[in-house]
Amino acid sequence: MPGGIIFEFPELFLTGLWLTIQISVLGLIGAIVIGTLVALARVSPLVPLRWIGGAYVEFFRNTPLIVQLFFWFLGLGALGFRFSTDTFESIFRAAATGMALYHGAYVAEVVRGGLLGVDRGQVEAARSLGLSYLQMVRYVQLPQTVRSVIPPLGNIGIALVKNTSLASTIGVAELLYAAEIVESRTFRAEEAFIAATMLFLLLTIPLGIIVNELERRLLVAR
Amino acid sequence: MRGISRALALGLTLAFVATACGTGGSTTPSPTVAASGAATKPRLELSTYQYAIQTKGKIRIGTQEDNTPFSVKTPATGKWDGFDVAIGREIAKAIFGEGEDVEKFIEWVPVVSATRIPAITDNKADVVIKTFTINDERKAQIDFSDVYFRTGQRILVKKDNTTIKEAADMAGKTICSQRGSTSEKNILTATNNAARPLLLDSYPACLLALQQGQADAVSTDETILFGLVKQDPNTKIVGKYFSQEPYGIGVKKSAGGDRTGFVDFINRTMITLITTGKWATYYEQYITPVSGDKKRTPDD
Repeated sequence: MPGGIIFEFPELFLTGLWLTIQISVLGLIGAIVIGTLVALARVSPLVPLRWIGGAYVEFFRNTPLIVQLFFWFLGLGALGFRFSTDTFESIFRAAATGMALYHGAYVAEVVRGGLLGVDRGQVEAARSLGLSYLQMVRYVQLPQTVRSVIPPLGNIGIALVKNTSLASTIGVAELLYAAEIVESRTFRAEEAFIAATMLFLLLTIPLGIIVNELERRLLVAR
Repeated sequence: MRGISRALALGLTLAFVATACGTGGSTTPSPTVAASGAATKPRLELSTYQYAIQTKGKIRIGTQEDNTPFSVKTPATGKWDGFDVAIGREIAKAIFGEGEDVEKFIEWVPVVSATRIPAITDNKADVVIKTFTINDERKAQIDFSDVYFRTGQRILVKKDNTTIKEAADMAGKTICSQRGSTSEKNILTATNNAARPLLLDSYPACLLALQQGQADAVSTDETILFGLVKQDPNTKIVGKYFSQEPYGIGVKKSAGGDRTGFVDFINRTMITLITTGKWATYYEQYITPVSGDKKRTPDD
């Protein structure tokens, strides 16, 4: 039975699944928060903010995620900084940080597109009614952006879940790590990786369904 | 004598080529000097896999890019070097002959511990030479040549470490090793699952973790640890061998006769390397600088 090998190594696969879920959730929340802030910076009337936002996106989008993860683990270590005195806590936090910052750059671009896509008339009407810039963003621009960015954010979320497998390179015992250990113990590579794939799908398919549901409920016909 | 013959063969070949170019390519260059078969390929049996490789014109050798002193790829030049690499080149020479630059017959396939068996079973590499410990579980998956190197597992710690002296002391400590290797499994067996394994992709990364204090020790085969000590003299190797690690060359199991004669061929080549002293020379070239000892055969 496909995936049966999961029951032969339950601790490895279930720990892997749980760590994948944790890093995905923390990474996704972090990415959305950071990405939204960066997007707002990029469209702000203040030039220094636009510059900082632009630099952030350029850097975190154009460097490989695996390099970023290594930086948060061994790069910071070389500079004398660690997320925690316990190495395993440290690599977990490094992974979550790396996920959030890297995908935050993609979220930023998506949200920026959404912000710019809000009808210019709305923005001008809000300002002319006396709303400050921040009030305009909070009550007029952002709420309308949410609807349009749900589908691309969903894509980023699914990509993020899959990218958590890179955390195995800094020692995090997530799903890919579990599959590799099982493969080295049993040599049943196909079974091990099919099991990991099934567990990933267990996360990405529901995520896709949720995103579709949200899209359906929030999308207003134009 | 061989060197002079080869130089003569090369000189005459160049002369013929120069003549051929000069006369518009009407003559084809052919070395006619009585060299010891330097420019001709060895004759191999038709039904064997080594003959198939010879016909194909390329041998795919799987090894690791950063496994000092066994296999290292210099990023700047793209050149491979190391003990395992040298053995690989010798096998290629046994198939393609000594005369030309054997490098053009080799396709180096980068592998790590976690991918070396799939590389063989999925037919991505003809041989894998990568500090590959022979054991019964692996023998069920792939074939191994005879032992070409012997070592054992030990522990690397910082020079001022006094808490880890033997394998059992690793319990409760963060021990770094390579994911998917026998080393990481041996650590758990030796400490009865009480060690906390930090499994990374390579030993240089483990060394970094040790230096930064993010790992208490690194544990793997002694020869790899020698390479790490060379990189960082502020470390030391402790403990007796707590495992025996006989290295072999990994080859796909013959299915329907597709690897006929290959393992025997590799074994014969290895015996030749040992009896002609080439094995000892490579040991002295790559291993002695880090281990300080000399060996003439793998069983010394």
